[in-house]
Amino acid sequence: MTDAATLDQRRLLADSVADYCRRSDPLRRARALRDTEPGFDRAAWQEMAELGWTGVIVPEAFGGLGLAVADHAVVARGLSASMVPEPVTAAMIATCAIVGCSEGELKASLLEGIVAGAILPALAWQAAPGDIDPSRLAVVAVPDPASPGDMLLEGSACFVVGASGADGFVVSVREPDAPALHWVPAATPGLSLSMRRLADGRPAADLRFERAAVPRGNCLARGEAALHALGAALDHGQFAIAAELLGLSQRLLDTTLDYLRTRSQFGKAIGSFQALQHRAVDLYIHQRIGDAAFEQALRDADADEGTRRAAAASRAKARACETARQVTREAIQMHGAIGFTDDCDVGLYVKRALVLSAWLGNARLHRGRYAALVPLEPAEA
Amino acid sequence: MTDPRAETEGHDDIDRDALADDAFRMQVREWLQVNCPAHVRFPAGRMHWHECRDWWDILYRKGWIAPAWPRELGGMGLSPIRQIVMVEELERHGCGRMPDQGITQVGPIIIRYGTPAQKAWYLPRTLSGEAIWCQGYSEPNAGSDLASLQTSAVEDGDDYVINGSKIWTTLAMDATHMYVLARTDRSVKKQEGISFLLLDMKAPGITVRPIRNIAGDDEFCQVFFDDVRTPKSNLVGALNQGWTIAKSLLGFERLGIGSPRRPQLAFARLEKLARARGLFSDPVFMDRFTALRLDIADLSAAYEVFVEQVRRGEPLGADVSLLKIWATETMQRSSELMLEAGDEYGALGGDSDVEGVRLNVLAPFYSSRPGTIYGGSNEIQRNILAKAVLRLPT
Repeated sequence: MTDAATLDQRRLLADSVADYCRRSDPLRRARALRDTEPGFDRAAWQEMAELGWTGVIVPEAFGGLGLAVADHAVVARGLSASMVPEPVTAAMIATCAIVGCSEGELKASLLEGIVAGAILPALAWQAAPGDIDPSRLAVVAVPDPASPGDMLLEGSACFVVGASGADGFVVSVREPDAPALHWVPAATPGLSLSMRRLADGRPAADLRFERAAVPRGNCLARGEAALHALGAALDHGQFAIAAELLGLSQRLLDTTLDYLRTRSQFGKAIGSFQALQHRAVDLYIHQRIGDAAFEQALRDADADEGTRRAAAASRAKARACETARQVTREAIQMHGAIGFTDDCDVGLYVKRALVLSAWLGNARLHRGRYAALVPLEPAEA
Repeated sequence: MTDPRAETEGHDDIDRDALADDAFRMQVREWLQVNCPAHVRFPAGRMHWHECRDWWDILYRKGWIAPAWPRELGGMGLSPIRQIVMVEELERHGCGRMPDQGITQVGPIIIRYGTPAQKAWYLPRTLSGEAIWCQGYSEPNAGSDLASLQTSAVEDGDDYVINGSKIWTTLAMDATHMYVLARTDRSVKKQEGISFLLLDMKAPGITVRPIRNIAGDDEFCQVFFDDVRTPKSNLVGALNQGWTIAKSLLGFERLGIGSPRRPQLAFARLEKLARARGLFSDPVFMDRFTALRLDIADLSAAYEVFVEQVRRGEPLGADVSLLKIWATETMQRSSELMLEAGDEYGALGGDSDVEGVRLNVLAPFYSSRPGTIYGGSNEIQRNILAKAVLRLPT
C-alpha cells in the first residue's frame, strides 16, 4: 500500500495541476492551437517546467523532483482532463529514456535543460505502426568514414508524437555491434521531419535520417543498457498514456452526467430516463474498474524485472483504452446531435482518446502482449 | 443449548487476535487443507443439507461455523476484514456453499433485533445445525419490487396466522425453519406495513413444492401458507419494522456477491476447455479470452479497493453494487465464450468427454444466470447506482 507521505505528495501535485488548469483555460488553448505547428505554446511549457512537471521523474541530482512514474501519472491525468495541448507525456517518455542511460556529461546537461524547460525532447524509436518491440531498430548508425568523431544515421522512425517543436530526439539505433541510444538535435543536417496531423489536431512526425552526422559523444547508452532504458521508457510511457486516458475519460463522464441532469426533453431531465441511467451507470463502472486496475498495475511500474513491468503496463493501457472507448462513444450519443458538432468539447475528448489509444500499442496489441508475458495460473475448477 | 461435542472436543481457543492478518490467513488455509472433506469441494451446484452436514459439524466443533458472530454467542468474533479473509480462503479451497442462511442472515438479525428468549432458543440451534433456515422474501408477484409483498400475518390470540406464498426459496425442502417477511398492516405505505417473523417448517398448513430450474436441479421451491400459525413470540423486532430489519444486512453482503472468485472459477473451466481444444493458438479466441482474463483481474483490483475500505473501518457505500454487476456479467460473458469455444460440445447436457478432458460445457452457462437476478437484479443495482451515487434525477 502507498504510504501517507506519498499520498500527500500526490495530492499536492494534483492540487497544483487543478489550480493551473483553473487559471489557464487549457481547453480554449487546445481548441485554438489545433492544426497548427508546433500545436502548443512554448510559454505554457516554460510555466509547467517552473511548476516542476517536466522533471517529476528526473532524479534530484539533476534538479528534478526525483519521484516515480505514479507521481507523473497524477500530473498527466490532471492535465489531460483539461485537454492541455503541450506534449507532456511525449517529453516524459524521452526524459525517462535519458534517465535510464549511463551517467555522463550529456545526460546531466540534457536532464538539467529538460527540468528547466530549455530542452524539449521527444523519443524516436518505432520501426513500423503496430510495432511494440524496442529491439527492432529501424535506424542504423555507422562510423562516418570522412569524420572519425561522428556517426552517420540512416533510416526512419515513425509516429513520433511531440516531434514538432522538439529541440532534439532520443533515437534508438543499431550500431555495427550493438543497439544504442543517441541524442540527435532537431537541427541536425540530414534529419527531416514529415509532419502528420493527428486526429486531435496535434502534429506527429515520421523522422527520416539520411547520412545524418551525430558526434560519437552523443551516444547516451549502448548495448543492453540502451535496450533496457528504452524498454523502461516505453513501459512508463504506456502508464502515462493510460493515466491521460483515465483522466480525460473521468472528466468527460462528469460532463456527460451534468448534461443528463440538466438537458430537458419531454418536460423532464433526460437523466431521469432509465435507459440513459443504466448506460450512465455502466460508464461509471468502467471508470471505477479502470481506475482500480491502474492503481494496482502501478505497483509493478518500478519492478526491476522487465517482464513484470511490461505486463503491468499492458494491463493498464489495455484497460484505460477500453474505459475511454466506452465513455467517449457514449458521451457523443448522450449529448445527441450537439455532441457531433465541432463546437462541443466532447469531440476534443473523443479525438484525444483516439490518439492516446493508438499510441504505443492499442488495446488489442496490449492484450496480446499481456497474454504472452503472463503465464496462466493453473486454477482448480 | 450446547452441543456436548463442543465441550468434549473444546472450541478453538487460540488467541487469533494476536495473529497478523496474513498469519491468520495461513492458519485458516492449513486447517482447511487438513480438515475439509473432498466431497464438499467444487460442487457442481448448491449442496443439499445431507451432502454437507458432516462438513458443518467439523466447522461447528472447531468453533468456526459463524465467523461474524460475537464470541460470547458461539461465533468467531472476527473483524470485518478477517471475515473477508475467511470467505476468501473457503472459496480458494473450493468449499461449496452450505445452507448457511441461518448463520449469515437470520442469525445476525436475531442477534441485533431479537428478544432474550429468541436468542437463547434459536442461536445455539442455528450454530449446531439443528435449525436449518430458509428465506421467505420473494413472492410470485413481488420480486424486484419486494416491498409489494402480499403474504399476510394476522393476529389471532397468541399467534399470527399466515396466508400466502413465497417463491424462489432456496433449499426450502431442507429447512427446519423459515424467516418471513409478511404484511401486517395494509393501511400504510407498503414498506411500513411489513413484519419479520420466524416460523417452524413443520407447522400445519405449510406446503413445499420444489421448482426444477433450467439446469435441471431443484435448488429452490415455492412455499404455500394455508392458515399457518406461528406464536407472537416469533416476531423479531417491532411490529411493522420488518423492512428496516431486512435492509440492515445489505452492504457487506454485496461485497461478498462481488467477489472475483466465482468468475475466476468459471474462467478456469473455460481455460480447461480451451486447452483441451487447442484454442490458445487461435488469435481471435485469444483476444477475447485475454479480455475476459483482464476483466477478472481488474475486478479483483476494484474488489480490493472496497476490502481496503473495510480494513480502514469505513462503512461501505452504495457504490459497492458495481462489483456485483461487473462480477456477475463477466461470469456470463465467460460462459458465452465457453459455449462458443465448445462448438458441438456446447450442445451436450451434463458432463462429457471433451477430447480427453471431463467437462460440463453448459454448467457455467446455467450457473451464471441467477447472479444477475437475485440479491436485487442488476437492473435494480443500476437504479440504485444512478440515484444514490450518480445523483441522476427521478
